[in-house]
Amino acid sequence: MDQAMVDALLGIGRFVLATTFLLLLTVPTAFIVGQMELKIMAQMQLRYGPNRVGPWGMFQSAIHGFKMLAKEDQTPDRADVPTFTLAPWMVFMAAAMSMLVIPFAPGIVAIDSEIGVIYFFAVIGLSVVGMLIAGWASYNKYSLLGGLRSAAQMVSYEIPLTLSIVGLVVLTGSLSFTEIVEWQLAHGWAVMWQIIGFPIFFIAAAAEINRTPFDMVEADSEIVAGPFTEYSGMRFGFFYFAEYVALFIMCAILVTLFFGGWLAPWPFPAQLEGFAGTLYGLFWFFLKTYFFVVVAVWVRATLPRVRVDQLMGMSWKVLLPLALINLFVTAAVVLAFNL
Amino acid sequence: MAIPGSGLVAGMGVTLRNLFRPKVTLQYPEERPTIPDRWRGRLDLIYDPFGEHKCEVCFQCAMVCPVEAIDMSGFDSTGNRIRYGLPEIYAERRDPNAYRRAGLPARPMRNAARWEEAVDDAWVDQAVDGFGGRPESLVAIFGAVQARYGYLPEPALRRISDRMTIHWAQVFGAAGLGGFRLLPAEGHLVTVCDCAACRFAGGDRLLAALEEELGVHPGETTTDGVFTLETDANVGAGAIAPAVRVDTLVYGPLTADEARHLVHARRTEAARGRVTA
Repeated sequence: MDQAMVDALLGIGRFVLATTFLLLLTVPTAFIVGQMELKIMAQMQLRYGPNRVGPWGMFQSAIHGFKMLAKEDQTPDRADVPTFTLAPWMVFMAAAMSMLVIPFAPGIVAIDSEIGVIYFFAVIGLSVVGMLIAGWASYNKYSLLGGLRSAAQMVSYEIPLTLSIVGLVVLTGSLSFTEIVEWQLAHGWAVMWQIIGFPIFFIAAAAEINRTPFDMVEADSEIVAGPFTEYSGMRFGFFYFAEYVALFIMCAILVTLFFGGWLAPWPFPAQLEGFAGTLYGLFWFFLKTYFFVVVAVWVRATLPRVRVDQLMGMSWKVLLPLALINLFVTAAVVLAFNL
Repeated sequence: MAIPGSGLVAGMGVTLRNLFRPKVTLQYPEERPTIPDRWRGRLDLIYDPFGEHKCEVCFQCAMVCPVEAIDMSGFDSTGNRIRYGLPEIYAERRDPNAYRRAGLPARPMRNAARWEEAVDDAWVDQAVDGFGGRPESLVAIFGAVQARYGYLPEPALRRISDRMTIHWAQVFGAAGLGGFRLLPAEGHLVTVCDCAACRFAGGDRLLAALEEELGVHPGETTTDGVFTLETDANVGAGAIAPAVRVDTLVYGPLTADEARHLVHARRTEAARGRVTA
């Protein structure tokens, strides 16, 4: 076997290993995020939250998952069965696949792609298609309306979400997450350079993954469950699963882009290389990511849901112009100071 | 002008403070609220199978309320306005079917022959007068009658109705409340409470222990005729769950061993020939 063949096989093996690992990682991630949501929100609402299943109720969200597995999986009579089955898979895979480009620590990234940023926003946007399919395939007009609502919302917010980081890309001169993190090693966390970009990204990301206060897609207390009305059992569970995984991923990307990814708040010790360096990076990465997960839960416990017109107005009249201003100012600064 | 987003920050501050404040949830059943002695439960208007209010404006609840907290008014079957306490406190209700439903027996009659038992009318009159003959003492009078006869014989209820000039339907209805038997039991009547609170606090274990101890299931009498076991949802008041009633005495909260002990004590008495049931 020549060298090219060996490299190719190694590459395939590495890819299979990485995807398997990331798929497995989604399971504890979803359960941990779900558990945090249950427990922290309860505490903020002066309740105890789950405290019966396991020590301090820490298995509550796992039990929720098993409950979903045990429930009857119903398909509406006139549903389009192939697409009805495909939709939850699609929403989940959009979340799981976007994890491929997240650099967890130095060297711990499934695909160190040159166009990781573009890949990420392309793949995470696929969940819109899943939602729309779910609404259409259910053969239920409320599901379809919910699907269209979600499409309107998510497509609208994709624009400020993407534009908010273009300034960062101009600044760092790279579309690779790894290089963006390394740029931050030299120049400090990007949030200091992108003071407008970060809040735009945070707000748009919350809308993109249907988090409160932008959770009109599901709006558990108003409409039944939007595009998920006809879903039950594990198919519904998959949507939930994907929601929690997407929250984790958005926080991970937020940390990677604006808060230095795996970098510690102080300079990364040069002597920590190899395995120790990886662990150190993983520690800071997960710490920062879960901090933002807690912030998202905190926001959910605080803010009421906004109206649809407020949601759309926010996207087109506030976030989009701000993102453009941010982009132009950043570009002008980069040009002027030759950064 | 307020800074945009300042309200948002203030709100986030409130939730963050809440995160560290002590929680108010009462961890029932590990923690129990302290309930005042005169507490009589929740006031609730319940519905019949036809979807109508079961309240017939019969005033029974107002009459037995120890703190006279209930006022009500309504219309009787002939359309006359009737009231108890201050008028027009609660919404008034017209009910053409009041008599029809009031005429229904509160419980199915299992043994019509024993129902017709001779009672000492003079003694009943004395009991009624002894409690002042007021409507709110109806439950106390029932208690006295049941203490003497072990149950509420129909002739005694008729006599109470005549003596106190209360409608028969009202007396009968009040007798159908928890705690009173309309038929005599054989031997000691052991009633295990099967209300939700008692079952949650271990009432099922009590029942199992008593079933094992007595060798009978609920609704049956032991072969020696000393005990009858039954379950009822109206024994305890939640605060003393799990509760067991032996004849007219309510015990609780009980462990399985304590429940066995209750039965043991009475069995020993019966062996000495002192039981009169």
